Amino acid sequence: MSFEAPWLLSALALLPVLWWLLRVTPPSPRRQAFPALRLLLGLKPAEESAARTPLWLLALRLLAASLVILGLAGPIRGGEGEVPGRGPFILVIDNSWAAAADWGPRMAAAQAVLDRADRAGRPVALLATAARADGAPPRLSPAMPAADARALLAALAPMPWPASRGAAAAALAARPWPEAGIVYLADGLATPEDAAFTAAFAKAGPCLVLTGEEAPRLLLPPRSVGDTLVARLATLTAAPPRPPAVILAETGDGRALARVEISLAAGQSEGEAAFRLPPEIRNQLARLEIAGSAAAGHVVLLDERWRRRPVGLAAADAISAETPLIGDLYYLHRALAPYAELREGNLATLLARPLSVLILADRPLADAPEAAAVTSFVEGGGVLVRFAGPLLAEHPDDLLPVRLITGDRAIGGAMSWGKPAHLAPFPPTSPFAGLAVPNEVTVDRQVLAEPTAALAGETWAALSDGTPLVTASARGAGWVVLFHVTANDDWSNLPLSGLFIDMLRRIVALSAGVKAAPEATPLAPAESLDGFGVLGPPSAAARPLAPSAFATTPPSPSFPPGLYGPENARVARNLADGLPPLAAAGAIDGARYRGFGTLARTQAFGPWLLAAALALLVLDLLLSLFLRGVLRLRAAVLVFFLVLPLAGRAEMPASDNPALQTRLAYVVTGDDAVDRVSRSGLAGLSDYVNEHTAASLAAPAAVTPGSDDLSFYPLLYWPITTAPPAAGEIAALNDYMSHGGIILIDTRDAEAGADFNPGGATMLRRLGAALTIPPLAPLTVDHVLARTFFLLRDFPGRYDGATVWVQRDQDRSNDSVSPVIIGANDWAAAWATDADGHHPYAVIPGGERQRLLAYRFGVNLVMYALTGNYKGDQVHVPALLERLGQ
Amino acid sequence: MSEAARRAEALAAPLPPLLLAAERVAATVAAGLHGRRRVGQGDSFWQFRSFATGDATSRIDWRQSAKSHRTFVRETEWEAAQTTYLWRDASPSMRWRSALAPVEKAARAELLLLALAALLLRAGERVRLMDAAAPFSSGTAALSGLAATLARQPESAGLPRGASLPRFANIVVISDFLSPIEEIRALLGRFSALGARGALVHILDPAERDLPYDGRVRFLGLEGEGETIIPRVEGVREAYRARLSAQTAALADGAREAGFALISHTTEKPPETALLALYLALTA
Repeated sequence: MSFEAPWLLSALALLPVLWWLLRVTPPSPRRQAFPALRLLLGLKPAEESAARTPLWLLALRLLAASLVILGLAGPIRGGEGEVPGRGPFILVIDNSWAAAADWGPRMAAAQAVLDRADRAGRPVALLATAARADGAPPRLSPAMPAADARALLAALAPMPWPASRGAAAAALAARPWPEAGIVYLADGLATPEDAAFTAAFAKAGPCLVLTGEEAPRLLLPPRSVGDTLVARLATLTAAPPRPPAVILAETGDGRALARVEISLAAGQSEGEAAFRLPPEIRNQLARLEIAGSAAAGHVVLLDERWRRRPVGLAAADAISAETPLIGDLYYLHRALAPYAELREGNLATLLARPLSVLILADRPLADAPEAAAVTSFVEGGGVLVRFAGPLLAEHPDDLLPVRLITGDRAIGGAMSWGKPAHLAPFPPTSPFAGLAVPNEVTVDRQVLAEPTAALAGETWAALSDGTPLVTASARGAGWVVLFHVTANDDWSNLPLSGLFIDMLRRIVALSAGVKAAPEATPLAPAESLDGFGVLGPPSAAARPLAPSAFATTPPSPSFPPGLYGPENARVARNLADGLPPLAAAGAIDGARYRGFGTLARTQAFGPWLLAAALALLVLDLLLSLFLRGVLRLRAAVLVFFLVLPLAGRAEMPASDNPALQTRLAYVVTGDDAVDRVSRSGLAGLSDYVNEHTAASLAAPAAVTPGSDDLSFYPLLYWPITTAPPAAGEIAALNDYMSHGGIILIDTRDAEAGADFNPGGATMLRRLGAALTIPPLAPLTVDHVLARTFFLLRDFPGRYDGATVWVQRDQDRSNDSVSPVIIGANDWAAAWATDADGHHPYAVIPGGERQRLLAYRFGVNLVMYALTGNYKGDQVHVPALLERLGQ
Repeated sequence: MSEAARRAEALAAPLPPLLLAAERVAATVAAGLHGRRRVGQGDSFWQFRSFATGDATSRIDWRQSAKSHRTFVRETEWEAAQTTYLWRDASPSMRWRSALAPVEKAARAELLLLALAALLLRAGERVRLMDAAAPFSSGTAALSGLAATLARQPESAGLPRGASLPRFANIVVISDFLSPIEEIRALLGRFSALGARGALVHILDPAERDLPYDGRVRFLGLEGEGETIIPRVEGVREAYRARLSAQTAALADGAREAGFALISHTTEKPPETALLALYLALTA
C-alpha cells in the first residue's frame, strides 16, 4: 500500500492535541424541561468537577479524524512494482499470434502500467509490434496522457501473424526519448529482427520486460496416417511442463465430434495424438482447436486435403458396365457413391489424377505400360481392388494378391452335386473383422487361388469350406485386394447384400487420403482468421496467394491464415504454414524480467475512507444530539439508518402468488447449469413476448412437479437430463397434461446422439414410457403451432433441423391441442439473455435469422399455450362467413 | 361522552356511591337525596314504628305487621343533596411527564376529578367546577358535560382564585402545589374563613420526587421561570429533596390548619389508590 500524498500523514501527529481539546471541552448540557424548576434555582452541587466527554465518544471522533487524514492522504492498494525511467513511458506490446493466448493477463498488465503512469503523471507512448491489419508497419504513438493511451490500448487486438520487430525498432529509433522508460510485454518468441529491436531498446532507456507464465503453443497442420488424423502441437523446447492440451475436432457448424489430449513433457517441443474417426465423420471436420483458448495459433483449419478419398472405377467394357442390374460397375457405383468421391473412365484417365482407391471390375491389365502405371499407383500408397470375372479367370496377370488357377469353379447349379457356398466368419486379422455375416449370401462360382503356405494370411474373407473369397497383399505402401467373384450378381449374390457396402467402405477407409499437389495458381482469400482464431471476412490488405507458396510465405497482413479459393474448393492456409520453428526470444541486455502478475492493477480507496469518516461524523452528530436530549433514541436510530444508506432503493414486493399473473415455468432438473439456462431462456422469451405481442408474462417460475401446483402455468419447459424423475413427478405431469397443460420437452441434443446430452435419449425413452404421451407426428407447417402468431416453416432453437414432435392432428381429444411438444433444438439456450441483454449462447449453425426464428417459435408456442386451437378454428372463418351469408 | 369521562366512569364504577356528611352545610344544601339521619322524605329505610291513629293505611308495612300481632308503619330517612366544588390545576407545569411516568400530571388530575365527580353524581350529589362559569351539574348524565367543560377550559394559574364560594362549601383541589408556599397558605386561609371543608390532592411526577438526572443538565421551566444549568445533578439531588419535602410539609401543615385532608399521589401509581384515599377523606 502506498499514498499519493504521504506528507498529509504527518497530520496524524495532531491527534493527541485533538484528544486533549475534546477532553477539556465539556459537552454541551442536555436540555431538560422540569416543572419544579423553582425548587432547583440557586442549588449548587457539593463538589464541582469538570464534565467530561464520554471516552467512547472521544474514540469515535478520533477514529473519524484519523480516517479523514488517511483518506486525504490517498492510499493506493497494489501500487507495488517499480517502473523504470523518469520521463515518458514507452509501452511496447507484442500483439502477435502468440500473444492471443494470454491476451487477458497481458491487457491487465498493460492497464496496470498505465495506472502507474497516470499516478506519476508521466506521458505514455504506445507501440504494438505486430503489423496492423491494413498492412501498415507498427507505429509508435506520440506521447500522450495515460487516459488517452487507455483508449488506444482498448483498441488493440492480437494479430494472426508474427511481430514485425524490425519495423518496430525503426519506429522506436526514429526520434530520441530522453529519460524514457520502457515496459515491454513480450510474447517470448524469437524473430529474425530481434537484434535490431534490442539495440533500439538499449538506446531508448531502461527496460522492464513482462512475460506470461506459459510458453506459446502452436497447433500444427495434422498429418493423415492411414485412417487416422494425427493432430500435432508444438511449443518451445525450454517450456516447463503443462497440463495436457485438449484438442477438439469440430465441424463447420461448431460441433465438437472428437477430442484427444496431447501432453508435452518438459523439454519436448512437439507432440501428437491421433483422431480415429469413421471416414464419413472425418469428412465433416472443418477445424481442430485447443479447447478453452481463443487464439489463431490454437486453430487449424482443415480442407479437402484431409478428407478426400477419390475412388476410381474401371471395367473392361465401359459401355455395358453401367447397365442397370447386370452391369459390372452398377452395384459398385451404388454402394460407394454415398461415401466416396467416385471417378469413372479409362485407366489412363483415372491414374492421371490422384486416387485413393482404384477398383477394376473383371478388367485384366492389357499391356506392360498399363501394368507399370497401376503398379506404381499401388506402391505409392494406393489401394487396388479387383473383381474376378470371366475375363480375369482366363487372363490372370501379376497384379493379383495370389496366383490364380486358370479357369473358374462352379459350386452349385444344374450340373453340380454341390450346393452354393456360404461365407465363413471373417478372421480377426481381416479388416472386415466384426462385420456380421448374413446367411443369405451365397457364392455360385469363383476363381480359385493356388494353395500356398501364405494363402491363409492373405485371406480376408473365405467361404465356409475354407476357399478364399477375398484375398489381399500389401505391395509397397499400398494394397492389392482381390474379390474372387464378380462385382455383379452373376457369380454370387454378395453385391446384393448390405455386407458388400460395409466391406467396400472398410477397404476405402484403409486407403490414405489424397494429398493434391499444391496448385501454382494464386487463390483469392475468402475468409481469414483473426488473432483470436475466429473466421471472418478478409481484410482489405489480404492478397491472393498460390497454395504452392503457402509453406514458404510467412503469415502477414497480405497473406493472413484462413481459407483461400472458390467456395467449393477452399484451401486452408494455417498459421503454422510458413512459420519457422518456434524458438525462444533471447534475453535483452540490462532489462529486468517479471511476470504479468507483478504489476497488479492499483486501487485508490481514499474516497471510501472519507465516506466512512463522514458516516462516523453523522453518527457522532446524532449521538451528541441524543446525549443533549434533543433527539430520542428511537428517532436517532431511525435518522441514522435513513441517512446512511444513500443508495437504497425501494422495490415493490413481488407477489409470489402464481395465480395473479400469467407466467411460464420450467421443470427444475437439479443441474444448476441447465436450470440457469432454462430460467434465463424463459425470461428472454417472456420479454420478447411482452414486447411483441399483447400477452403479458411475468418472470418465469421454477417448479418441481409433485410439490408445486402446476395448474397456474400454461406452458412447462422441461429440459431432459440424465437425472431420473422423482416418483410423484410423473404423476403430477400426467395430471397436468390431462388438464390442458402443455409440456415442451427438450432433449437439447440436436438429435446428434450421445455427445451433446449423454443419456438424454435414453431418459426420453424412459419418460415416454412413463408419461401418457399421445400418438405423435412431426410438426409440419400445416400444424396450428406453426401459425398461431408467425407463419413458420422451421422451428430452430440453439440447433436447427431436429424434428419437432407434436400430438397427431387427427386426435380430437383436448380440443386438438397437443399436451406435449418434444424436440431437441435446445430452445432455452437460444432464448436466453444475460443481464446486459446479450445472448450468451451462440446459435448453431448461426446467424441472427436463426435466433429470430427461435424467438418466433417461442412466441408461437406461448400463443398456442394461451389460445389453444383458436387459431386452428380461424382457418374456417372464411367458410363460416360464406355459409352465414347464404 | 369524551374519552376522559369514559375512563373516569370506569374508574369510579367499583366504589360504592359516595355520601357526604352534611352536618354543617344546611345552608348550601338544596332539596336532594342526602340522608339527614332523621325521618323524612326519602327512599332509604329508616325505622319501623307502631301504627298510630292518623297514619295513612297505605304506609302500613304489611310484611312486617304479619310477623306479629302489632301493626307497623315503615319510615324512610330524610334525604338532601350537597354541592361539591372541584378544581384541578391546568397550568403548563401540569402538562409534563417524565420517562418514569405513564401519563402527564394534568391527565391524571383530570381523571381523578372526573372519577370523583362520577361518584358524587351517582350518589345524587351535585358538583360544580370552581372558578368556572359552568352551572351546577347533577345526575349521572352530567358527567359528559363536565368533561367537555374541562376540555374547553384554558390554561389556568397554579392555584384556584376561590372567588364567589358559598359558606361551608365542600372543596376538592387537585394540583402539584409547586406554587410558593405563601400563596398556598393564603388560599387555605380564605377557605377556612368560609368554613369550607374538603381535600387537597397533591400530584407529583416521580421525576419531580426523585430528580433522576445525571451530569450536566440545562433545566428549563415550563411557566416562564427561566432556566438553570446544574453542572452535576447528582450533587444537588439531596438538596432538592430537602426543598421538596419542606414544601410538602408546609402544605400538610396548612391543610391541617384549614381542616382539609391532604392526599399525596405520584403519577406512576395507579389512580385507584388516590381515588380511594379521596373517598375516605371526603366521607370521614
